[in-house]
Amino acid sequence: MRRAILAVTATVAGLVALLSFKTHSSERTVAAAQPAASLPPGERAITGNVADTAYGPVQVQVVVKATKIVKVNILEQPTSTQNDLQIGQFAFPRLIAETLSAQSARIDTVSGATYTSGGYVKSLQSALDNGA
Amino acid sequence: MPSATPVIDVRVRHAEHVMGTVVSFDVPASARADGSLDAAIRWLHWADRVFSPYRADSDVSLLARAEITVDGCAPEMAEVIAACAFIHDLSGGYFTASPGGQFDPSGYVKGWAVERAAALLSRAGSADHLVNGGGDVQCAGGRGAGEPWRVGIADPLRPGRLALVVEARDCAVATSGTAERGPHIVDPHTGRPAAGLASLTVIGPSLALADAYATAAFAMGPSLARDWTDCLDGYEAFAITESGKTWQTPAFARHLTPT
Amino acid sequence: MATAVGPRALLAAIAAGAAAVLALWWHSTLSLSGLGGWLTGAGEILGLLAGYAVVVLVLLMARIRPIERGIGADRLARWHAMGGRYVIGLVSGHALTIVWGYAVTAHASPVSETATLLTNYPDVLMATVAWFLLLGVALVSARAVRRKMSYETWYYLHFYTYLAIALAFSHQFADGAAFTSSLVARFWWSVLYLLVATLVIWYRVWVPARDFARHQLRVAGVRQEGPRTVSIYISGRRLRELAAEPGQFFRWRFLTRDLWWQSHPYSLSAVPSDELMRITVQDVGEHSAALASLRPGTRVIAEGPFGAFIPDRTNRSVLLLAGGVGITPLRAMFAALSGTVTLIYRASTWQDVVFQAELDAIAEARGATVHYVVGSRQDLGGDPLSPTVLRRLAPGLHRMDVYLCGPPGMTGTAVAALTEAGVPRRRIHFESFEF
Repeated sequence: MRRAILAVTATVAGLVALLSFKTHSSERTVAAAQPAASLPPGERAITGNVADTAYGPVQVQVVVKATKIVKVNILEQPTSTQNDLQIGQFAFPRLIAETLSAQSARIDTVSGATYTSGGYVKSLQSALDNGA
Repeated sequence: MPSATPVIDVRVRHAEHVMGTVVSFDVPASARADGSLDAAIRWLHWADRVFSPYRADSDVSLLARAEITVDGCAPEMAEVIAACAFIHDLSGGYFTASPGGQFDPSGYVKGWAVERAAALLSRAGSADHLVNGGGDVQCAGGRGAGEPWRVGIADPLRPGRLALVVEARDCAVATSGTAERGPHIVDPHTGRPAAGLASLTVIGPSLALADAYATAAFAMGPSLARDWTDCLDGYEAFAITESGKTWQTPAFARHLTPT
Repeated sequence: MATAVGPRALLAAIAAGAAAVLALWWHSTLSLSGLGGWLTGAGEILGLLAGYAVVVLVLLMARIRPIERGIGADRLARWHAMGGRYVIGLVSGHALTIVWGYAVTAHASPVSETATLLTNYPDVLMATVAWFLLLGVALVSARAVRRKMSYETWYYLHFYTYLAIALAFSHQFADGAAFTSSLVARFWWSVLYLLVATLVIWYRVWVPARDFARHQLRVAGVRQEGPRTVSIYISGRRLRELAAEPGQFFRWRFLTRDLWWQSHPYSLSAVPSDELMRITVQDVGEHSAALASLRPGTRVIAEGPFGAFIPDRTNRSVLLLAGGVGITPLRAMFAALSGTVTLIYRASTWQDVVFQAELDAIAEARGATVHYVVGSRQDLGGDPLSPTVLRRLAPGLHRMDVYLCGPPGMTGTAVAALTEAGVPRRRIHFESFEF
C-alpha cells in the first residue's frame, strides 16, 4: 500500500513538473484582426464567432469586397503541439484556398447534403451570415 | 442606368440553429423591421418541437409510441402524414415516413418547414428572399436588380468545392447525399444504405416536395432514379454518381447559366 | 558462462526508455495553458507512458534467457505484478484526463465529449475496449479472485492482455499528438513494439520448439524417494547445450493425455549429464500426484533453463540451507560445488528427508559437511535455526555465501536469523517458488 501511495505521488509530482515547464501563460497566439481603417476602400472585414474544439478555439475572419471573399484570416487557432502547427501550416491554407475557389462563382448560398456543426465550417458560415 | 428611382435595398442575413442544423436567411431589411423574420424563426422552432424525433415529448415521438392519435396532434400532423403517403405512393415506396418501421417524417418535414418559413416572409410582403435549411433552399424572387439567386451545388467528392452553379427564381433547390453525414439514406425495401449516387439535386416550385423527391430518388440508386425523375412533372434533377459522373433530366438545363 | 543481465542494468534501461518517452512528449508540445491544457497534457504523458510500459511488462515475461538468468523468474514475476498495477493506473488516468481535458477546452460536458471521442475519433472505441479488457485482467489477477480459480484458467485469461495491446495500438498513432505529425516518432515506436513482439515469439515459441526437436526428451524412469516424493529421470541428447546450472529449473510439460496442457516449474535435483536430467517433486497437488505414474518413454517439453539461483563460485566457503522440498535445487548445488561446503537440511520428520544416502556419499567424497535438523520446535527445544545454532553448525558463517531454499515462512525466518548471525544481506541468496 505504501508503495502504491509512493508511486501515485511520484507520478503526479512528475506530471506537475513537466506541465509547469511547458506552461506559458498569456501567450495565446491570437493573430491581429484586420482593423477597419487599414482595409482598402470597398472591403469589409467580417469576423466569425469563436468555435471551441477539443484542441482549442478557432476563429476565422473573412475580408469581403462587394459580395466576394478576397481574403481569409485565421484569427485564433490552437498552437499547443507540433500537430497544431502542422494543421496551421498545411490544413488551414488548403481549406482557405478551397473556400476562395468555392466562392469565386459569386454564389449566394450552397445546396448540399445536410450538414451538422463542425469547427471551421461553422465559423465561415457564421462569418457570411454575420455580413449584415 | 435603371430609369426608376434606385431603392436602397439593405439585406439582412441571419443564421438560426434549429432542427439539428443551421437555417440561413437572406431577407430584406423590412422583414426584420416588421417582425416577419422573427415569426419565421419562431415557426421553425415550433415545427422542431412538434416534429423532432429526438425529443421524447414531440408529437412525432408520442405518435410513434402510440401514446396519442393523429387527432390529438397539431393539425399540421395530418397534412404531413397525407403528403408523405402521397409521395410514398408516387415513389413506389422509396420515400417512407416510417423508416425501419418507426414513424419519422423528418425526410418531408424539414423541407416543408423551411418552405412554410419562406411563405411567411412572402405574405409579409418580401418579394426577394431565400431560406437555406442546412443545404435545402427555398427562393423567392431573386438576388436583386432583376437577377436570379445563384445557388452553388456542393461537390460531394471534393469537400469545399462546387460542382455546379444554378440560377433559381421563385423555386426550391434540394440536395440529398452522403457527403456530410455518411450513408444515412436507407433503401426502405432492403433496409440497407443506398449505393451508387454521391448526391442528387432536385429543383422545383416547392421545397417540401423537392426535398422528399431528392431523398426518394437517392434511395433508388442511379438507374431507377433517372427514370423516375424524368417522369416528375415540374421538377428537374441533377445527380453525381460515386465515380464522379453526372446526369440530369432534359429540362434541368434551363436552370443553368447560359455560358 | 552464459550472458546475464542484472537487475540494475535492466532497471537502468527501463528508466532510460521512460526518459526518452517523456522527451518525445517534451519535443512535441510547444506550450500549454489553462485547466484544459494541463489536463490534456497530463493525459498525453500518461498515455505515452502507458504505451511504453505495456511493452516493458511483456518484455519482463518474455522468458528472455539472459534476463531470466540475471534477475530470476520470481523477481521478474514480482516486478511484472507491481508494474501491472501501475500500468492499469496509467491507462485509467490517461482515459479520464483526456476526456476531461478535451471537454474543458471545447467547453463541452464530459458526457458529450466522451460520446464525441467514441464516435468521431478514429480507433478510440477499440482503445476503450482494450482498457476494459485490461481492467478485467487486473480484476482477475487480484489475489482474492485468483485464489478462487485454477492456475490454468487465470493463465489463459491473462493472454487477453495481448489482445488489449493490439486493440489499443492504432489509436496512439491516429489520435496521439506526439505521433500524428511525426513520422520519425511513429517509426521508432513501431520498432519498439516490433522488437518486443519478436523477442516474445523467439523465446516463448521458437526456442522451446527448437529444443524439443533437438534434445528429444523422454521420461526414462520414476523413483520413489520418500512417502510423498518422487524423482523423475529425463533422458535426451546433447543436453550439455542447454547449459543448465545447478540451482536452475525448467518449465516441464509432460505430453500425456491429461497433463499435456499444463506446464510446471521444477528444479533439477542433480547435476545434469549430456544424456540425463533429474527432477524431484513433492506430492502437493493434482499435477505432482499424477507425475508418480508417468510411464517411461513419455515425451517431454522442457522450457529453460531458468532461474538466477546459481552459485557464485568465487567464494570458496558456502552454506546451503534447505527447508523441506527446498532440498531439490540445493542437492544439485551440493554435488557441484568445491571448497568448504556445509549443508543444513531442515525437515519436520525423518520421513520427509530425501536423498540421505546421496547426501552422505557426496559429503564424504568431497569433504563437505551435512547437518540434518529434523523434528518439530518442541522436540528441538526452541528455534532450530537460531543465529546461535547456525553459527555453531557453520563456523565462519559471516564469511560465507549462503544459498537458501524452502517454504516462504522458513525462508523469512532464516534470512532474519542469518542477518543477525552476521551474514551481509548481499551474500544471502534465495529463490521463491511462489510465482
